[in-house]
Amino acid sequence: MKIKKIYEASVEEIVEVLKKNGLVIMPTETLYGAMVDATNPKAVKKLITYKNRPFGKPLSVAVNDESMAAKYVSLNETARELYQKYLPGPLTIISKGKHLLVKGVESELGTLGIRIPDFKLVLDVIEKLGHPITVTSANASYKKRPYTINDILDNLSQKQKALISLIIDAGELPRNEPSTVIDTTLDDPIVLRQGEIKIKESIEVLSRSVEDTKNIAKELWQKYEKFKGVRAIIFALEGPMGSGKTQFTKGLALALGIEDEIISPTFILEAEYEAKDINEILIHIDTWRMQSPEELLQLGFNNQIKQKHVFSIEWAEKVGNIIRDYDEEVIIIWVKISYSKKENERLISWGVL
Amino acid sequence: MKILSIDTSCDETAVAITEGAIILSNIIWSQASLHAKWGGVVPSLAQREHKERIDWVIEKTLHSAKCKVQNLDAIAVTVGPGLAIALEVGISKAKELSKKYKKPFIPVNHIEGHLLSPFAQSKYLKPITGYRLPATDISFPALGVVTSGGHTEVILIKKIGEYKIIAKTSDDALGESLDKAARLLGFGYPGGAVLEQVAKEGNHQSFNLPIPMIGREKEMYFSYSGLKTAFYRLLEGKGKDFSKKEISDLAASYQRVAFSHFIRVLEYILKSKEYSQVKQILAGGGVMANVSLRKMLRDITKKYKIEVLFPYSKKLYTDNAAMIGIAAYYKFERKEFLNPNNLDKVERVPRAKVDKPLPWE
Repeated sequence: MKIKKIYEASVEEIVEVLKKNGLVIMPTETLYGAMVDATNPKAVKKLITYKNRPFGKPLSVAVNDESMAAKYVSLNETARELYQKYLPGPLTIISKGKHLLVKGVESELGTLGIRIPDFKLVLDVIEKLGHPITVTSANASYKKRPYTINDILDNLSQKQKALISLIIDAGELPRNEPSTVIDTTLDDPIVLRQGEIKIKESIEVLSRSVEDTKNIAKELWQKYEKFKGVRAIIFALEGPMGSGKTQFTKGLALALGIEDEIISPTFILEAEYEAKDINEILIHIDTWRMQSPEELLQLGFNNQIKQKHVFSIEWAEKVGNIIRDYDEEVIIIWVKISYSKKENERLISWGVL
Repeated sequence: MKILSIDTSCDETAVAITEGAIILSNIIWSQASLHAKWGGVVPSLAQREHKERIDWVIEKTLHSAKCKVQNLDAIAVTVGPGLAIALEVGISKAKELSKKYKKPFIPVNHIEGHLLSPFAQSKYLKPITGYRLPATDISFPALGVVTSGGHTEVILIKKIGEYKIIAKTSDDALGESLDKAARLLGFGYPGGAVLEQVAKEGNHQSFNLPIPMIGREKEMYFSYSGLKTAFYRLLEGKGKDFSKKEISDLAASYQRVAFSHFIRVLEYILKSKEYSQVKQILAGGGVMANVSLRKMLRDITKKYKIEVLFPYSKKLYTDNAAMIGIAAYYKFERKEFLNPNNLDKVERVPRAKVDKPLPWE
């Protein structure tokens, strides 16, 4: 492992390392990224080991311009508009992949997240290399966001350190948020992770009744059902008192085929329901009475995540940090319910973290 | 026949020693006393850590009853419903005591405890007053109503130990609904008791809130989520600053409507032919300590010439272990206990229902 100050590093040297299956840690405008040649199977495998990443979690890649992106994904009109408007910049755009990269870079569904970092050194390296490189953040999964080289090294094992070929040290980076992530593969773009760039969410539906709210929950379940048993699935519910979070959960339970009546878990904090037909467990949590987010962990959350259960968490914003800690291995569907004009109307929006 | 009982179903760590229906000691380590001890905010970590305080509470209970475990006849414990990790603490402690001292082990349903809490008798008073009568004076079938932070149930009591839930909540429990209304009015948690105090000064007719399920009482379930929403809307429509008078009126109006819904469903049950033989109602659970609710319940039962029985002390309404001891006593009489060398199958049942046998029964 070599560490070089950014002013000592040359594009040629970095490209040489990348070509020889090397893993390079480089700064971007958001965080330090762990970069390998995304077309090189050995290098990608090394990166996955380095990240200690759960199976099947996609890696996003960086290109130097839109035309390189177009070689690897199909850009629809929404995606092209976003490229024009925001890139280079802290935005990752997910499109349908053309399956030209190493397996494991695209998602299980064949989609690929691409960004164009607003950082000259990285762009020069990609141009010279002629291939996309991975830009996943340089921390191991679940560890501190890397703004300095020490943030990274302090949390790595010797084994992980041994996988790094070269580190480009640019000192402490400004504390920018990770990039915004937007999925353009559906009819309407969905913001999956909110960063600096704010894009208006267009997935917002009007629920006219409790029944509507339940149906929306059912539809959302059907959309993400494919992850059942592969990952834990968390429906993180946010909305004021009486907005229908328990009603939403009732809809979810119906979709899961749970026969028991779902009631508010406020007093009891947590209730577990068995969906016998599909051999699944729904864990309904209410954080309203919790005094600190850590109480969620005291309930055994970590273990339940490992069991890949389905969760509905009311007042999720209170435990947002803890839920986000799991975003690499868990499907998190963040659902916001708000009051609308009429008595029974609610606005429901969602995004996947 | 002396029983040591433990209840750690949710927030309180409770231990009691009972003899039949007579309470020898009844110790509750509650959040309220924690607040007093810490003089304000409780460190949340300590709050649900039954483990750290259970031994101390057991000690205190034994001391107060002047008993030793070896002189007791059985160990009882709540196995559900409740919070799994909390139940676990009481169950393993009870198993430990049962094995160590070779005492029969009696697993009890928390709701059955609330249901039978009106049977409890003080060791200091002879049972002369009307509402502290022993179970032998009950004519079956009777009805039970349990209203607490986590439960709102009307239960048909065919006989002691044989129950059928005939109405329950489909969303929030009554106590929870009051706590949430209190929160919306700016009170801390748990605010139900504060709401009651404030409501005393208020006029319950000042604000118009919809009685839930009105005209649909025959569906025989409770629903408090719509009322909560209506209250939220009402407060939002009125802006932020309320006078003291307005807060009292809002509290009184909310409480009245919440109770009316409860009473209306109960009245439907009392009126129906199916339950016409019922002559007595046993009432328990934290919300039953509310004076206005008890008054409304007395009024409605009077109308149908039914006697209503409440626990004799405030401490018996909220979660406690004395009520578990009473339920355990009847279970023991029915031989529904386990030998200390046969406890492996006993586990927590977080969603136990009072009308369903426990998994191993």
